[in-house]
Amino acid sequence: MSFELVPGEIVALLGPNGAGKTTTLRMLGGLIHPTSGSVLLDRQTVTPATASRLRASIGFLTETPGLWERLTVRQNLTVYARLHGLASASLAVDRMLDLFGIADRARDFAGELSKGLKQRVALARTLLHDPSIVLLDEPTAGLDPQSAHDVRELVRRLRDERRAVLLSTHNLDEVDRVADRVAVLRTRLVAVDTPAALRRRLFGRRVRVELARDAASHVSVLRASGINDVVVDGAVISVGLNEHVTIAGLVRRLIESGAAINTVIPEERSLEDVYLRLLEEAE
Amino acid sequence: MKRIPPLVAKELTELRRSPSIFLPAVLTGAAAIVYPFIIAIIVPYFAGERLSDSSDFALATELFRSQPEARGLTPEGAIQAYIFEYALVLMVGLTTVTGSMAVAAHSVIGEKQARTLEPLLATPVTTFELLSAKVFGAALPGIALMVACFTIYVAAVATFAEPGVWLMMLTPRSLALVFVMGPLAALLGLQLAVCTSSRVNDARSAQQLGALIIVLPIAALQIAQFIGGVVLTAGMILALAVLLCAGNAILMSIAIRLFDRESILTRWK
Repeated sequence: MSFELVPGEIVALLGPNGAGKTTTLRMLGGLIHPTSGSVLLDRQTVTPATASRLRASIGFLTETPGLWERLTVRQNLTVYARLHGLASASLAVDRMLDLFGIADRARDFAGELSKGLKQRVALARTLLHDPSIVLLDEPTAGLDPQSAHDVRELVRRLRDERRAVLLSTHNLDEVDRVADRVAVLRTRLVAVDTPAALRRRLFGRRVRVELARDAASHVSVLRASGINDVVVDGAVISVGLNEHVTIAGLVRRLIESGAAINTVIPEERSLEDVYLRLLEEAE
Repeated sequence: MKRIPPLVAKELTELRRSPSIFLPAVLTGAAAIVYPFIIAIIVPYFAGERLSDSSDFALATELFRSQPEARGLTPEGAIQAYIFEYALVLMVGLTTVTGSMAVAAHSVIGEKQARTLEPLLATPVTTFELLSAKVFGAALPGIALMVACFTIYVAAVATFAEPGVWLMMLTPRSLALVFVMGPLAALLGLQLAVCTSSRVNDARSAQQLGALIIVLPIAALQIAQFIGGVVLTAGMILALAVLLCAGNAILMSIAIRLFDRESILTRWK
């Protein structure tokens, strides 16, 4: 696989279980080393010798929160602040506790927290040292809708702060909401692009025209004028667009053939369709 | 190196919250304190005989009283001092090694099982720093337990043994045994426990394997001392200390190699 992650960008890693998402994140985070190939962070190759130093610029949210349950929230964060060598560990911890709205739980033992709160503490730990690269392994897995929403807001904020964010998830809706680009893995990189570009590449651009009456009688007119990618379903016509077939031209022809048009809507395939098609192609 | 103190502090805080890990070591320490008193004080008291009446201890008494510090002791006091001083080896070895290893084995395996190791490995912490913190975080409670046991032991000897016997517990030889050999043996045991726990899935396996390797030689040394096969002189303690230091250095480098981050992350579920 080969892809780049740049500041101010969110890239989502998608793939079935065992596709290599977590392994990829671990390699990028310098936790494990690739058997072949290389990972470059700020133009420096991650090797066993450089990994310790380079990890300082990475924030890695692991799949499980991995908090020390017999330590309080504050103690958990303080240990990490000191491991990152932060000059004022206490201030950094206070800032994160406020940012994540967990200041009132600072004295609670991590083992007593709900799953959502644990995840918030883990996120606070991930960002404690102000990393420029943020790797998130299923950050919203198992969270309630409000907590998941908060995490997505945070991820967007990280992008706005010009951090590079790589996000592994199974949640396609989440990817659609936050990701600038999508990388689909199936033990190798199947595709990497923006969701819109992937849709175009796999399904082309289509438009859905709803007529007032049955559309079958208009299909022959369209085909006669060279518009062949036409699918009819009752009063609805779905037409594939290309450089010769534009929405304006299509509408003009339909009106010329006497059709009464109710609506014209560009068709957008779901990311799920894109994902499943890519996996199908990869098989 | 600067990342070792916060990790050691974390280890100690966790231990404070789960003192039950330490209970077997406390019981071992208590047993190690009590057993020489049974031999030297309780059995003679109930039997109504003095140890110095028996010819079994004659040679040992003679050898022991040849030491300048022991010359002022009564014959009974010399035998008691002989028993109490030699029992120190077992007490020091058992309390530090079992205490420390109980913590160490739980420390690495506990982190693996609780899935707390991965976020830790994602920080700039090096394997050396991580393992050093594990070793020191476990050694400190073990050594503290040993010092506590030693203090109680000396106080008990001062209370129940013949006058002057307790001073024999504070000779340079005894102190070197407690404060040099004890910690070094504990570190050796710990490194073994850490090496083992890097490779096994169960804290008890790591603890038992590590304990077996380190406690057996200590027990052998104790028996050899009692039967007169080995006399632990100051020079011998120094030589053993040097050997233990070298052993510790070698084991740390082995532990770093055995602590395979990749297999821990990829094979531990």
